[in-house]
Amino acid sequence: MTAVTRRGARVTPLDAGVRMLPGMSPPRLRARPSSSLAARAAGGQRTRATVAVTVAFTTGLLLMLLAPAARAGEVAVSVLDRGGHAVEAVVVTLAPAHGVPAIRRAAPATAIMDQRDRAFVPRVLVVGVGTSVDFPNNDSVSHQVYSFSAAKPFQLPLYKGTRHPPVVFDREGLVVLGCNIHDQMTGYIVVTGAPFFGMTDAAGGYRSGTVPEGDYDVTVWSPLIADAATTLTRHVHVAAGGPTDVRVRLAQALRARPEPRPRRGDWEY
Amino acid sequence: MRSAARFVLLALTALVAVPAVVVADDRLDLTGSLDLRFVHATGALSWLEGGSGALRFDREHEDLRLGRAFLAGRLRLDDTLSLHAVVDAYGDHDRNPVDLSEFWLEYRPFPLSPLRWRARLGAFYAPISLENRGPGWSDVYSITPSAINTWIGEEFRTLGAEIEARWLGSARGYGGDIALVAAAYGWNDPAGVLLSDRGFGLTDRPSTLFGGLGRPPLTFYHDTDHRAGYYAGLSWRRYDRAEVRALHYDNRADPTSVAGSAFGWMTRFDSVGVRLEPTSHLTLIAQNIDGETVIGPFPGGGEPFRMTFRATFGLASLEYGATRFTARYDDFHTHQLSGFYGPPADQVGHAWTTAVQHDVGDAWQIAAEWIRVTNHFPPRANYGLPADGPESQLQLALRYRFRLQR
Repeated sequence: MTAVTRRGARVTPLDAGVRMLPGMSPPRLRARPSSSLAARAAGGQRTRATVAVTVAFTTGLLLMLLAPAARAGEVAVSVLDRGGHAVEAVVVTLAPAHGVPAIRRAAPATAIMDQRDRAFVPRVLVVGVGTSVDFPNNDSVSHQVYSFSAAKPFQLPLYKGTRHPPVVFDREGLVVLGCNIHDQMTGYIVVTGAPFFGMTDAAGGYRSGTVPEGDYDVTVWSPLIADAATTLTRHVHVAAGGPTDVRVRLAQALRARPEPRPRRGDWEY
Repeated sequence: MRSAARFVLLALTALVAVPAVVVADDRLDLTGSLDLRFVHATGALSWLEGGSGALRFDREHEDLRLGRAFLAGRLRLDDTLSLHAVVDAYGDHDRNPVDLSEFWLEYRPFPLSPLRWRARLGAFYAPISLENRGPGWSDVYSITPSAINTWIGEEFRTLGAEIEARWLGSARGYGGDIALVAAAYGWNDPAGVLLSDRGFGLTDRPSTLFGGLGRPPLTFYHDTDHRAGYYAGLSWRRYDRAEVRALHYDNRADPTSVAGSAFGWMTRFDSVGVRLEPTSHLTLIAQNIDGETVIGPFPGGGEPFRMTFRATFGLASLEYGATRFTARYDDFHTHQLSGFYGPPADQVGHAWTTAVQHDVGDAWQIAAEWIRVTNHFPPRANYGLPADGPESQLQLALRYRFRLQR
């Protein structure tokens, strides 16, 4: 089974002999909540489509790779701010703790971190370890993207009319992106080793889809969350049947959201 | 000056030739603008025309005028090195009809830690103005910058080297950054002479590197004493929402030095500015400058001329779609302490500026600006004028802009 993303990248399961779970096919997976969440966060037609396909397919692969014998449950995460309002675009990862059968890692996927109006789009992206991320630069100006984060230091000049190979994120951790021309540009790529991950939607919700029964560490992260990292992980037991609800109510006020300010007839380089 | 003209010609040739040579790879970014004005002014002869008026235009110099024509280019030499040039024409009687106003080489390595270095070498503006953030140091909020930044444009250019260390907070979970900047320069020893002669004014006519201002023209880019000047500053930015800049400037000129027709004016000041953008529509800017300038004593010339100065402005600008409305209040003072040869250079002035700018597509802008200055400056008596001189100026501008990326 092979999926071709709209950019032409082929995504193939590592093990072609893996059995598919009944009723599971890419078209159905494309409509999964997690993929539409990621798509919303991504914005932009091409980005949306590609991310949706990528995330859907990754999730599908993960599900396929589960031992069919394991009993399955689901995790429903909601993130609320101090005032009880939904927090969108929060990264959610589900890391198996114990009692979860070994989950095989999915095939490396592709994702897109675009540049538009002197901003990274999406501002926050979560990918699995090994994912290739493309930086297409759909802006009217050049960018010089860099990271000096330990998980992936790199320098990527993005000039118009030049092809740039995607960057492979092969180590777990947070990668903070900047642009050496536009200091106000900041983006985040969360590279996770967790088999299940996604982002919250406008209602502050994330649903994991089917996951094997067992104990998980559910962690939420966003650059806007000011709460101490130690308070952002919940240890939950996922039982078969209905979804296991995880509610994260933040204690600290969210950090100010840096609204992108596309300047009229922007004359800055 | 023949060498200066040759230099300008070379730079212009380079700017024109470069697009032809570099046809791809996104190496060249060229911005140009042509700004035509229709002016109605009520003041006495402008200082720029040999009078004492504080504005750019006056009763004898109005109607149809060239506001400015400029080309601002950046040529990327490699990923970290770029060459920048700004070429200006103002259509007045300056000795070079077309001249360079900035020309520098910039080195900006990729950061390998939260500390990012940047170095500039050449001729450029010190990071003082919070208004002149457009290409070619153009003011994006009104046609005419504040009294402070008018003066910075008139008498100051860093001819030397600047280094900036910026701590990039975003990588550490802080949505902003902090920078230290310092520069050493020469060839700016006459800075201060214009302020003693006219006081503060409000014009959008900065000096060019090889030209002069006023009649007879004063020139500012000379070295009279072989002593380097310096500035050192601190800047703090919070996203794109707030910026604070503080800078200490000292040209360290020997106030008794003379080189040809140029004199050294020891000029130093402190500038503090704040820009806030609390909403996506509103911009607020305030800036203050405080300093002194000294010349002399000269043999047999009595005590030195010593003058302190202070200027402040507050600006509010609202942006709705393609239209921007700006209002600004300027307050400025000079005070002569010694070296009296005529009426004291004690200026007390203030000005109101209101401007509307409207973009028509990407290429065109129409703008209107009205300034009223109330200016008390006793040396106006040298022109047979009373010390008090209210002036006003209405300008309508039609601006064409283009951008070329190759």
